[in-house]
Amino acid sequence: MDLVLLLAEIFTVASAVIVAFHPNILYASVFLLFAFCGVAVMFLFAGADFLAGAQIIIYVGGVTILILFAIMLTQWLYKIKLVDIRNKMLLPGVLALGIGFFLYRALHQMALSLPKLTPEALDKFTATPKTALMGQALLGSYLLPFEAITILLLGALVGAVWLARPE
Amino acid sequence: MVQSAQFAHSLEGWFGFLPLWGWAAISAAIIIYFLALPFGGLATYVERKIAADMQDRIGPNRVGPLGILQFLADAIKMLGKEDFVPKGGDRFLFNLAPLFVVVGSCTAFAVLPLSKYLIGADVNIGVILILAVTTLIAPGILLGAWASENKWSLLGGLRAASQIVSYEIPVALSILPVVLISGSLQMGQIVDQQGWTLFGENPATFHFWNAFHNPFTFFAMFILFIGGLAETNRIPFDLPEAESELVSGFNTEFSGMRFGLYALGEFCDVFVMSAMVAALYLGGWHIPFLDIEKLGFALPTALVAMVHLTVFMVKTLLVVFVVMWLRWTLPRLRVDQLMGMCWKGMLPIAFINVLGTAVWMWVFKGQSMMQLLAGHG
Amino acid sequence: MNHLLSFSSSLQGYLAVGAILFALGIFCVLTRKNAIGILLGIELILNAAGINFVAFSKFRTGLIDGQIVALFIMLIAAAEAAVALAVILRFYRLKQTIDADEASILRN
Repeated sequence: MDLVLLLAEIFTVASAVIVAFHPNILYASVFLLFAFCGVAVMFLFAGADFLAGAQIIIYVGGVTILILFAIMLTQWLYKIKLVDIRNKMLLPGVLALGIGFFLYRALHQMALSLPKLTPEALDKFTATPKTALMGQALLGSYLLPFEAITILLLGALVGAVWLARPE
Repeated sequence: MVQSAQFAHSLEGWFGFLPLWGWAAISAAIIIYFLALPFGGLATYVERKIAADMQDRIGPNRVGPLGILQFLADAIKMLGKEDFVPKGGDRFLFNLAPLFVVVGSCTAFAVLPLSKYLIGADVNIGVILILAVTTLIAPGILLGAWASENKWSLLGGLRAASQIVSYEIPVALSILPVVLISGSLQMGQIVDQQGWTLFGENPATFHFWNAFHNPFTFFAMFILFIGGLAETNRIPFDLPEAESELVSGFNTEFSGMRFGLYALGEFCDVFVMSAMVAALYLGGWHIPFLDIEKLGFALPTALVAMVHLTVFMVKTLLVVFVVMWLRWTLPRLRVDQLMGMCWKGMLPIAFINVLGTAVWMWVFKGQSMMQLLAGHG
Repeated sequence: MNHLLSFSSSLQGYLAVGAILFALGIFCVLTRKNAIGILLGIELILNAAGINFVAFSKFRTGLIDGQIVALFIMLIAAAEAAVALAVILRFYRLKQTIDADEASILRN
């Protein structure tokens, strides 16, 4: 099983590299789709079964389609080149590397300070179905954020419709 | 004994480079695709025969008895076609796009509840998994349309994607009442709870078919069916391939096996959607009012599985038949009618269905109409 | 190889993938001039955050709170993408009219 996880992680990272470096914006978004799928597999191995399904539905079925739509509506139909004009790469590259490195160090330090789970507890956590637990938590201790999210989504829906209205 | 041990050892030498679960996964994949491929092929034949019957023609009748081998002839013809990529098109995406459609629709076969004892993978997020993998179809169509470098294709692809994204919402909302009733996303459990029998003891959680659980689920079934029609781009929602406006829509430039993959993916998607209607609302493998496992004498499990499979396939294929029947009955919608119907018609009804089912579950303590009528639950 | 396998299935493996996605997202946001390209970078960053939450939820706390936060991140990302793309389309329409004005000025 670890091999599949390793392959998924390599796949995710490779797709993300192409997203960041490919000059063609359409290819970048196609590989973003692959990166989303890889992250979904990683979620599955971390015992987040419901989250993996939600990841595919929301990101692949929603966000990627929206991005592809926006690319095709703004670029192809009006015959603008899909290739991105880049700024200088050196400074952003160094900055990104630094941020990534410090993020990893900080989270690693934090992980060391927290108590580890036993292998049995890990296996039990992975094997437990999460859908019912998440539903109870969303309508229990996380009720207020849940309601806030619903208002946010409604606002986003109305706002997007209003912004994209015809003249 | 020694020989068999040696044989096993040599087998391990041959097949040992993959662990056991690896082989299990590969064989499951092969079984899924061998279930999906003949269905896709036969469906083209059946559709042509039904079309011919509706129009008072004979239909395919040359290849094999009653023309039943026509789909093999079609497949061989497709294999012989030129491997064509349009000039100026995007070769990589052109090759990639049909795979999205096939992977998206064929993977869903893994969680279809063919029988109580015959489910490819009865995962605990079964319904979500079907919704998730079938979303891969929309990017497949959109990318294929873009890679064709053809304005008709692109218009068809944009129409298809907007249609699929819009109708996904009523479809997901009309699955929710079933989830409310059964309290599970697992396909096997959802179907199992619809096995209400007229005679004998029924557990309190067992209902009759979900379509007759309460008035709201009855309408939710039709919303699911219509939304499924729209998601699979079937008439009357086949605007993406409207031949009078867009030549052939998103698959105009596709030929040979790539077109075959699109067609196969579409037929498999129709099957998956019909199977979802049958499993979620029409009782799946259950014969109405009768549980063949509670007849008083024990049947062998293999026989039970076969009966279940037959009943499930009959229900699913009846829904598929309705899909094909509608093709020759209803005219195509306009784009504005399509979107208006989704957002102004089906979406509010779907919301009312979810709310109504929730209220029903609260008022009647989760009892179905059939349980209330029979007076025991 | 075994070392790599055990690393990939540990908390550190998840954190490493999360950090790499985060760095690539930052890089994408900083270098791309295309508004949609910047959006791609933001999606990568949000995914990286989700991975970290899910990883800590499994390997350290053993509770589902991390997964719920990841779900909230996902929903916010969806809302953000919808609004951002509406803004981009609007902006494009506006720009297009500006370009047309310039063309007419040249013609006069």
